[in-house]
Amino acid sequence: MRVLFFAQAKDAAETSELEMNISDDVGLEEIWEKIVAEKPKLAAFRKTTRLARNGEYADAKTKFSDDDEVALIPPVSGG
Amino acid sequence: MNIEIQITNQPIQSRGLSEDYSAGAIAEFSGIVRDLENGEKISALEYEGYSPMAENEMRRILESLAEKFPCFAARVIHRIGIIPVGETAIYVCIAAEHRGEAFALLAEFMNRLKQDVPIWKRRGIVAAVYDRRQQRESSKTDAGRAPLQLNDALAEISSRCQPLPSVRIRLEESFGRVLRETVCAPEDLPPFDCSTRDGYATLQNDAAETFQIVDTIHAADWKPRQLKSREAVRVATGAPLPCENLRVVMQENVERDGDKIKIVRVENSENVRRRGEEIKAEQILLHAGNRINIGVSALLATAGCASPLVSPRLRVCHFTTGDEIVLPNQTPKPGQIRDSNSILIRGLLQNFSCDLRQKHLPENFEQAKSQIENLKSQVETANVILISGGASVGEKDFTRELLEWLGFEIIFSQINVRPGRPLIFGVNENRIAFGLPGNPLSHFVCFHLFVAAALVKLAGEAPKEFLRGRLVAKLENAPNPRETLWPAWLDSAGLHPLAWASSGNITCLTETNALIRIPVNRGSIDAGTEVEFLTI
Repeated sequence: MRVLFFAQAKDAAETSELEMNISDDVGLEEIWEKIVAEKPKLAAFRKTTRLARNGEYADAKTKFSDDDEVALIPPVSGG
Repeated sequence: MNIEIQITNQPIQSRGLSEDYSAGAIAEFSGIVRDLENGEKISALEYEGYSPMAENEMRRILESLAEKFPCFAARVIHRIGIIPVGETAIYVCIAAEHRGEAFALLAEFMNRLKQDVPIWKRRGIVAAVYDRRQQRESSKTDAGRAPLQLNDALAEISSRCQPLPSVRIRLEESFGRVLRETVCAPEDLPPFDCSTRDGYATLQNDAAETFQIVDTIHAADWKPRQLKSREAVRVATGAPLPCENLRVVMQENVERDGDKIKIVRVENSENVRRRGEEIKAEQILLHAGNRINIGVSALLATAGCASPLVSPRLRVCHFTTGDEIVLPNQTPKPGQIRDSNSILIRGLLQNFSCDLRQKHLPENFEQAKSQIENLKSQVETANVILISGGASVGEKDFTRELLEWLGFEIIFSQINVRPGRPLIFGVNENRIAFGLPGNPLSHFVCFHLFVAAALVKLAGEAPKEFLRGRLVAKLENAPNPRETLWPAWLDSAGLHPLAWASSGNITCLTETNALIRIPVNRGSIDAGTEVEFLTI
């Protein structure tokens, strides 16, 4: 699974992307745990940062698989 | 709803919608980068985006809002990367049947965008860092570029300047503006046959010698009637004739006796201006692109065009530079000269309907920048920025740096023309800037050749073309590898070349009303030779 980091999350992760291996049908909480395990500094982002799966916001019901592209979306500030 | 979304790292230039929706309302919004971010003064903002998702999100938001506020079309352009202060970060255009839905959808879209669309303001960039980045970027655009030939420089200017949006204003205020619409005659002119003399109107081919006076018509009277043979109508100059096919016999050529006249001298002229003789109804009177002078305004008034569609007034900021310059009312110290460029620019702009703001800048770059900061709103809203002096490459010549600091991309900085080799031309979205050489003659020539061409284009006027004419006297010139524009006096005899020795000359300006164009490496030109010239 490819994980993309943007904005402050990218600064904290000190990289813009990461490869991770996961098994199929994984939920949101597990994905977070795996990401924080790789990049401990991102623990602080968990409350404010949303995850996107293949370009759409994920929610508690979303299931992830190893082919997905996941992105960490800290609070946005476009416009 | 038709949705068009674009995320770009280039300046946002296009506006409006790509199709015509016959919308009753078009609402547009531009989000501009401000000079303060979190209380810190900045000169640019860097944006980051997760582009594929940002596009999806924007589309999703627009589709869901369209259910609540039905609109025809939406176009969104979001710029990312480094965006200088004053430039557009986001542009939104909504077309709808009525304004209510368009405004509502636009406002709600912006709110949702700021919650859900994965685009981030990363950091404000302070001036020093930004300058270096800009310099690196601009060094790509024109450093190492050979000085441009005259025609190439004019072509660059023409392609970078687009006519500014039209405005509709009162005819009384329109002098000097450029007409932006075709004006047709609403009726014939003259609208009726009218007399050009005080005299007597009779049938055109009436061979009688004596006539019965049956009526009197003054200029404002309207008294139609069919004249018969041997009938005459007393008419004043300008009076509408009572029917068609009449002539007017001047009163000096008749003898009057009570209500009868006798023609004593036969005239060749009929003394009548015929209906539609000058203009037929619906005929085109004026094309778009005409600059409104006194004559044009009189024709517009005649055509009933009391509120013509015209070019806007140009907003121009002009800066002079150099510590050697003192005001005309001051006595120069050793090494100083009086400023003639400010009044030159003021005079040169008089034909272009401009609002002009002028300011002298100190030679210290930092001080110059802080003076410009004080005029920020004028500088940012100016269509044209002119800087006199400092265009060369000396240590204290900061025109180029200043323009880059103001966010201008330098298109060229040298031209293969004399006088006036250092000429800087820059663009910043739809705004343009010139750095003019400070020497008076160069300054004058560069204005007429290049700045005037840009102003004409912004106003939507037809470009001025070089004409051909004959030299009255020999033009003494040493061959030069640069194309030369030679000051001249044009009169009915032809072109008189004027004496000038250096680009700093000023005395010849009092007589110059034309510039002769001398090709590269051409030496002296004999009297009687046909040459190209520009009237000024």
